[in-house]
Amino acid sequence: MPEEKEFNSEESLQLITSMINKVKSSYHDSGTGALLWGSAVSISAFITYLEVEYDFYIGFDIWLIVLAAIIPQIVISVRENKRKQFKSHDDLALDAIWITYAITIFGLIAYQNIVPGATQDLNKQEGWSLIKHYLDKSHPDEAIAPFPLSITSIFILIYAFPTLITGIIKKFRPMIVGAIITYALFVASCFTSFKYDMIFSGIAALVCWFIPGLILRKRYLQLAKQKEQNV
Amino acid sequence: MFKELDPILHSQLRLAVMSLLISVKEAEFTFIKEKTNATAGNLSVQIQKLKEAGYIEVIKEFKDNYPNTTCKITTQGVSAFEEYVKALQQYLNIGQQ
Repeated sequence: MPEEKEFNSEESLQLITSMINKVKSSYHDSGTGALLWGSAVSISAFITYLEVEYDFYIGFDIWLIVLAAIIPQIVISVRENKRKQFKSHDDLALDAIWITYAITIFGLIAYQNIVPGATQDLNKQEGWSLIKHYLDKSHPDEAIAPFPLSITSIFILIYAFPTLITGIIKKFRPMIVGAIITYALFVASCFTSFKYDMIFSGIAALVCWFIPGLILRKRYLQLAKQKEQNV
Repeated sequence: MFKELDPILHSQLRLAVMSLLISVKEAEFTFIKEKTNATAGNLSVQIQKLKEAGYIEVIKEFKDNYPNTTCKITTQGVSAFEEYVKALQQYLNIGQQ
């Protein structure tokens, strides 16, 4: 591009538009993060379903793999940020949304683990407890610990929100479709037992992250190949 | 009354740099060079002019043990760019009448 060249108003506007478009076409997510979370959550959910359905235990809490996935995710994020030649305004907004999502999920996990015990203690202090009562009187009444009702539905609901925002901001249809399917799964999960909620969770992780991740990865590799050929 | 086009922005390469920077939060020198197809020397001179005008901020740091230059548009730069586009639109409207 020459340093100084006479150009008119129309050419100036064309130049501005073409540069803005060049930036837009430079953003390419590698899809690694989406693939990682999509696999971790769907594997955990489907294995939990199998454990409940066929009454076995694999020897450890499978959801620990979701926690373990945080380490590679941090490494991937640091590497990708280093490789990035520019930071867009969208990136900042999306980072904030996904950080808020992660905090919300961990908050919900804490709620799931803390609230039942705390509720039981509070109930004891007040001098009462929850009782399981069989309407057909086939079993005697038994005391039970409090538990949050259908909390998996809330997890499914939360999976959809950052996905939908990302899909809308990035104009990435697979994520928008994934989020809409996940909202439908949330509604369905309100009427089903834990076992089926796990299947819905697994499907939600596949449609929100794993499938969009595969599409992003494919595009990313194609572009990398094109760039290599152009060099 | 015609607004006068800002002479700092009414240069092909400087306008290209500003158009890139208005669309991002910040961009590395190598990215700007790649997108504008400019030579490193020419680009450095124009970036310096934009910096002197207060339109962009230039951050020099080390990345993986190599010097790395990052550019960022300033608030003054955003206002100047907006004014420039408004002036361009005025010229175009007059031309169409």
